[in-house]
Amino acid sequence: MKCRMTVGCTTIFAVLLTLTTAPAFAAVAIVAGETIQLENTLPDVRHLWVTSQDFTRINGFELKAEGACLGEICIPLKQTEDSDLFVKRDGQSWLNVTAFADKVQQAYVVDRESDVWSFGLVPQSRKAFLQSAEAPDFELKDRNGETVRLSDFRGKKVLIITWASW
Amino acid sequence: MPVWQSVYEDIDDDNFVLISAAQDTGGEKATGKIFDAAKVTYTAIIDEDHTISTLFNLVNVPSGIWIDEDGQIVRINEGTYAAKHKLGTFEFGTDAYVPAVRDWISKGADSAFVWSPEEVARNIIQRTPDAQRAEPAFKLGVYFHRQGNEDLANRWWEESQKLNPDSWNFHRQDWSFTPREATRNWYRKVQTLGDKPYYRPLGLPGEDTDTQ
Repeated sequence: MKCRMTVGCTTIFAVLLTLTTAPAFAAVAIVAGETIQLENTLPDVRHLWVTSQDFTRINGFELKAEGACLGEICIPLKQTEDSDLFVKRDGQSWLNVTAFADKVQQAYVVDRESDVWSFGLVPQSRKAFLQSAEAPDFELKDRNGETVRLSDFRGKKVLIITWASW
Repeated sequence: MPVWQSVYEDIDDDNFVLISAAQDTGGEKATGKIFDAAKVTYTAIIDEDHTISTLFNLVNVPSGIWIDEDGQIVRINEGTYAAKHKLGTFEFGTDAYVPAVRDWISKGADSAFVWSPEEVARNIIQRTPDAQRAEPAFKLGVYFHRQGNEDLANRWWEESQKLNPDSWNFHRQDWSFTPREATRNWYRKVQTLGDKPYYRPLGLPGEDTDTQ
């Protein structure tokens, strides 16, 4: 199928998804400037329910038997019974990624009409920076398209200067 | 920027990395010619989403961050012009910054300009819960801007400014898309600063802090 109009194609795609995996809907999540297409979400007037893979892409927390874990930190999250954070529908597990964000104080905003959810940094991943002055790592492309990863410069002194044209 | 290029060439140390990161949603179109004109040979990044400012809690440009060989921040600051500049009667920048950088490059941890982790932590701008929400709000604006939806881009950029009134980045980036009003907007906001500095003083010897 050749798609000229992005909007039209997205709509067709969303309808197809809804038909095959009802009652799931597509949404968009923005995490650290990266746009993630969420192919399946559970409809909810207030919250965003996502699959476990998308959950981890949004906040970095991985689901384990003891809960949702980020490094050493584990937040209790029962995956054996329905709760405000977890439900099972037709064999598929859904995680309430916004209720979890409230719990761990990950900031987010949503444009409900377009169903685009934008997430901020997870405070649990910020302690080394805020308390111990450890430089947070980043990965950005330089003007030549090469990946620049701050942690690749260990052993060297790095001076970062921000600026803008405006 | 040409000043930084000459500083970089002059330092000429394989163990010194200079990263110039444009916090600019205008992308290559807005910044490319400036990088080209300065003929930069150091690392040039066009950070359209302001990722670096988000990660390092920065609210204005230019801002400088010093990171040592172990990945520890040893200085994080605001208003790091490489030299003194004049814009009408508005003076900004300092000649004290580049010598401080040179001192650090040659002396490392023994440089008097290096801060302890506690000092760095004290100088990191703390974000209120609202200021934390301003970050994803700004990025939502960038998303809609990329989609060509300027109404929604504006709505979310204005939201980010409401949530973090201290972020010059969020204000000035937004104003850059309506250049005719940008100067007036900026001047108005500067008038509301009162005793607050536009850039935080660098605390360097020989620095003229009266630049607001």
